Amino acid sequence: MGILSIWLGILEGFRVTALVTLYGLVFAVPFALVFGVAQYLTRGVAHALVTCVIEFWRSSAVIILLFVFYYALPVIGIDLSAMTVSAMVLGLNAGGYASQAVRAGLQALERGQLEAGLALGLPRSAILLLVELPQALVAMAPTFINHLIQLVKGTALVSLVTLTDMTFRAKEIAQIDYNPVGIYTSLLLAYFVVCYPIAICGRWAQSRIGAGRAATNEL
Amino acid sequence: MNFDVTFALSTVPTITGVMATTMSIAVASCAGAALLGFGLEIVRRMGRLPGFAMRFVIDFVRSTPVLAWLYFLYFVLPFYGIRLSALTVGVLGLSVYYSGYLAEVFKAGIDAIPNGQHEAARAVGLNRADTILFVLAPQMLRNIAAPMGNYFVSVLKATPYLAVIAVPEMLGRAFDIASETYRYAEPLTVAGLLFLMLALVVTYAVKQLEKRLLQAARR
Repeated sequence: MGILSIWLGILEGFRVTALVTLYGLVFAVPFALVFGVAQYLTRGVAHALVTCVIEFWRSSAVIILLFVFYYALPVIGIDLSAMTVSAMVLGLNAGGYASQAVRAGLQALERGQLEAGLALGLPRSAILLLVELPQALVAMAPTFINHLIQLVKGTALVSLVTLTDMTFRAKEIAQIDYNPVGIYTSLLLAYFVVCYPIAICGRWAQSRIGAGRAATNEL
Repeated sequence: MNFDVTFALSTVPTITGVMATTMSIAVASCAGAALLGFGLEIVRRMGRLPGFAMRFVIDFVRSTPVLAWLYFLYFVLPFYGIRLSALTVGVLGLSVYYSGYLAEVFKAGIDAIPNGQHEAARAVGLNRADTILFVLAPQMLRNIAAPMGNYFVSVLKATPYLAVIAVPEMLGRAFDIASETYRYAEPLTVAGLLFLMLALVVTYAVKQLEKRLLQAARR
């Protein structure tokens, strides 16, 4: 088997890798926004509960979570496809990390922003949606992009629950062709080709935000 | 099939029995990653060409999944006649994967030292070795302590990946029990809960240590 056919074989798994990432984002983005904001706004018992949920998804090892949900949910009568379970676990894990960026971004804003909003008579919800969140999310954009890269890399795990992603395809090819160097080097390169452009976007965002801050400071 | 609580409890001792293995893997991998990462960062500073090459190596490692690295080392090393135990390959894999991240930690830790420190040390007549050892290194260590602690927790959370190359850590033991008894939900749930507890305890310990270090540094 030539290196080209190995590449084409691994490429067949790209669709699943991309799908899991996409579905994962469907879970990650709302979770990060809702729980990040909730952790920022709540106090007392509610705050403790929100923190517990976030810590559950963030502090567990994602590979263990995936297997627990894959094997334990059917036992209690919940049958989900491997794709759904994978997207949920990977998404909520990434969302747990990203929620901390949302919260930190909100906390880092100057208090004057909130006070100015209140002084203008804006309702709290409008201040959050129109004043605080836009600034916090832009400031945290590079961090979100880093978490997106972690999510893409995390999708390699779905090969362990029978989904035919790039890693699964590489292992399949390895069974019919003894060429570990070619196959696994190609696999690493395949992920590099997917993730590196995202990393470049992250650096671009970082420099744009840095430039924006410098410009604001000059005013 | 129901969730058998008695059976679940009976798996606890087997899985807690390998908690020490999990911790040793995390410590060894973190040390390996720090050594490799420091090496990468030092070579990166040696000039334009090595700088460019090491930048690429660091970006490549950061853009590829840990699972792909484990497969790569596990199957490629024997191809070249290098036979290592699964445990060694696992520690090596985590070390390689995290070296890319720790190189960035060292970079930030070194960049944060003011230039004047180096100049002042040379001005009072310290030679190059003394400058590095007694002036720059202590400051760098203080700068990297907090991020190093966070990465230790990350490495710990990556140790269950080693189950895919048959290293008997917590997730691996859970799968051993599962394949002997044909019951997956119970041992995996137990492994998940125990691992979450371990991760939370270590995270707390790392935070306390960080606080102590910061206090000591202020004194």
